[in-house]
Amino acid sequence: MRKPVPTIRTNREGFNSLAGIAKNADQINFEKIELDFSSCAFFEANMAAPFYAVLSHFYENLNDVTLLNIPSGIEMILCKNQFLKQFDRPVKFDTYQTTIPFKKFKKSAGEQFSEYLNLNMDEHGIPKMSPGLTKKFRQSLFEIFQNAAYHSESDAGIFTCGQFYPNMHKLDFTIADAGIGIRDNVRRFLKFNISSRHAIKWALEEGHSTRSGNQPGGIGLKLIKDFIEINKGKIQIISRFGFYEFSTMGEVFEKMENDFHGTCINIEINTNDTSIYYLRSEVVR
Amino acid sequence: MNDRIILRITDLIGSPLCISAEDGQKVFEKLAPLIREGKKVDISFDRVTMLISLFLNAAIGQLYGSFNEEQIHSQVTITGLAEDDLDMLKRVEVNAKNYYANPKKYDQAWKIENDDEE
Repeated sequence: MRKPVPTIRTNREGFNSLAGIAKNADQINFEKIELDFSSCAFFEANMAAPFYAVLSHFYENLNDVTLLNIPSGIEMILCKNQFLKQFDRPVKFDTYQTTIPFKKFKKSAGEQFSEYLNLNMDEHGIPKMSPGLTKKFRQSLFEIFQNAAYHSESDAGIFTCGQFYPNMHKLDFTIADAGIGIRDNVRRFLKFNISSRHAIKWALEEGHSTRSGNQPGGIGLKLIKDFIEINKGKIQIISRFGFYEFSTMGEVFEKMENDFHGTCINIEINTNDTSIYYLRSEVVR
Repeated sequence: MNDRIILRITDLIGSPLCISAEDGQKVFEKLAPLIREGKKVDISFDRVTMLISLFLNAAIGQLYGSFNEEQIHSQVTITGLAEDDLDMLKRVEVNAKNYYANPKKYDQAWKIENDDEE
């Protein structure tokens, strides 16, 4: 079975296309699946994380996946960020240090995630932020990672990948899982039907959490959104048919045509902001 | 005998990373009986290198489900937190108070008639 992989950028179309690759994956068993990159003009490297979440649905049903006809430029970057190591391609040295490697983590691997950030986040063109803002960025990544660990209900793991785009002055960090998604978690909690995009909207409200037990929660995503607003960056949340984006352009909740089985959150940091600035709480009165 | 008990977070959870609800639960399970017994507790976040709301919800936010605010503030002192983490803690506490005051009051407002979107 051969499926085409189109151009994949970190936008609604890119996430929708990735979701489309795994259409009906639950009905495909023991097959050889060839993913054909002939029509892929560009593949933004951080999208390796949601791409692997999509592929894991094929692996669940014991399908074999091979990648074909990868254009040389795309192959180079996916070797540099170690994604193609999953397909036995050799790792290539990242001369310009713009990649944050693709990695798979077990749900319980919070400490390993910390080591991975320590190893890969320094000296990668992250903007000169005050120590407080650097800390907020890392806290955001941990909030997302740990949320995925709890809510995904998937043993496939959590997939991460980052990419610095120096010409566009942006750093994208993407965390994905192949779990049950926000919609079904929220439906189960509220005990009524709610669409994918409304479920994301519900989850973004401060104080909303589907965590079981008599325990407060649900401020993590709001903290991240507040940080992104200060940085003038972007956050995208993709889960099942829901696509959400918040940036200086405003807020968007849209329905995708295809079903992304799992959840993916991308944080984009504006690296063009070279001034040292402080969070409100750091300003000396 | 010192009438304040010092609870060092990094010693209790065995890590400088305060990133899991499970570790937060360990803190809560140590704290709650002490507060119930009327003890005064100093919670030290010294040597913590990463702290997120998930941990604080379980460790501190949960206290508001068992004790009132006056009791918590009179018996519990927190040290070793940077100003921005104190801000996060305040948000956790406000959120917890709202949660225990109104657990599910507005959920039905999210029910949209004929929301048959996938």
